[in-house]
Amino acid sequence: MEELEALDTHLQEVRRGTVVLACLQLLQRADYGYKLLENLAGRGFSVDANTLYPLLRRLEKQGFLSSDWNTDEARPRKFYQTSAAGMLLAERLTDEWRALSSAIASLTGKEL
Amino acid sequence: MATLTDRYIFATVRSLRPEVEADVRAELAASIADAVEARMEQGEERATAERAVLTELGDPGILAAGYADRPLQLIGPRYFLTWWRLLKLLLCIVPATAAAGVVLGLTLSHASLGEVIGQAWVTALTATVHVGFWTTLVFFILERSGADAGPCWDVDQLPEAVENQPDRHELLLMAIYSALVVGALLWDRFRGFAQVDGQPVPVLGGQLWPLLLAGFIVLLGFKLALSFISWRQGRWTVALAVANTVGAVAFAAFTLTLLERQELINPDFVQQAFTQNNVGSDVVHILAVLLGFALAGFAVWDIIDGWRRLRPGLKTRKSLNGRP
Repeated sequence: MEELEALDTHLQEVRRGTVVLACLQLLQRADYGYKLLENLAGRGFSVDANTLYPLLRRLEKQGFLSSDWNTDEARPRKFYQTSAAGMLLAERLTDEWRALSSAIASLTGKEL
Repeated sequence: MATLTDRYIFATVRSLRPEVEADVRAELAASIADAVEARMEQGEERATAERAVLTELGDPGILAAGYADRPLQLIGPRYFLTWWRLLKLLLCIVPATAAAGVVLGLTLSHASLGEVIGQAWVTALTATVHVGFWTTLVFFILERSGADAGPCWDVDQLPEAVENQPDRHELLLMAIYSALVVGALLWDRFRGFAQVDGQPVPVLGGQLWPLLLAGFIVLLGFKLALSFISWRQGRWTVALAVANTVGAVAFAAFTLTLLERQELINPDFVQQAFTQNNVGSDVVHILAVLLGFALAGFAVWDIIDGWRRLRPGLKTRKSLNGRP
């Protein structure tokens, strides 16, 4: 049982940084909270709702996302979109990810 | 009638700042509604879907803390060690000092033993609580106010190297010390440190002087034996610590009893030095109490030292290879 928990923790650690990158990339096209959650899940990024929603707010506060309230439909929704600063951050994070990826590949000797 | 969703949103936003509250409320309401609809499309009932969605979102307190960027901890890793070390230091010093002060004061004002003990306990307890509370509060504020991390650790703060090896220097010192004490007692009796009209007036001991001498010799011999045993064994053990404690308690009991029966300090000396010089008996009483406290304090220090010597000392290559 402890092994499973340890495995879980380590998996979480590996995944933790990727959600921010995924959000910044996906939000190049404006989207709202729940849709983004579904989108991420569909593309293989498992995030909890109670992690994602505060995260979006934090990224907005840091200036990497811009938000807009859409009142077209019956239910008003808050749409987020990646800002210019957000795009720069996304590029920087992607570069870092590629560098890490090739570093790991060279460690394991296999193609990742 | 308030639905579960309404109650959940209320629980989450009520601890947020007003400027953020309306925004979070609207967004959260929409997100929850979207999630419930998605579940209903898959055939769930509204009630069960709502329950499931809200359960998945989890404790609204945690969600609110995420929204507000609040740390869900009292004192974080940055300050924890500093707080802990300071607290330990203060708890060693403050309650003991406060209790000692109270005991001294009450004894000087002739309070009963029960009252002294009672007040001492209450004082120590109150001091402990205060120290714990205010220290924690200060660090709580320090962390929230985003102050600088404070003193940084550097290599100079490493604990001093204390090798807890009993060695023959210690044994020798103990022997010399014992000899000096016995010698002082004898000198005091027969030659006299205090002189009146050319006649020696002994400072220590009244009529039971032989008992005093015997007692001191026994106690010193006991301590010397402990030193010897620890030297032979190469280390200090729990048994020795216990024996040391017993010896210290015996010393305290012995000297304090003698003091109380006016056998420790020679009454003649007291009369010649104090009473005849118009020093009131109140002052003499106070001096006696202070002396008693000094003797008790000496015993307590001995006990604490005995137990502290159990701590594993620093192991250098020299001490690991055998006796120095």
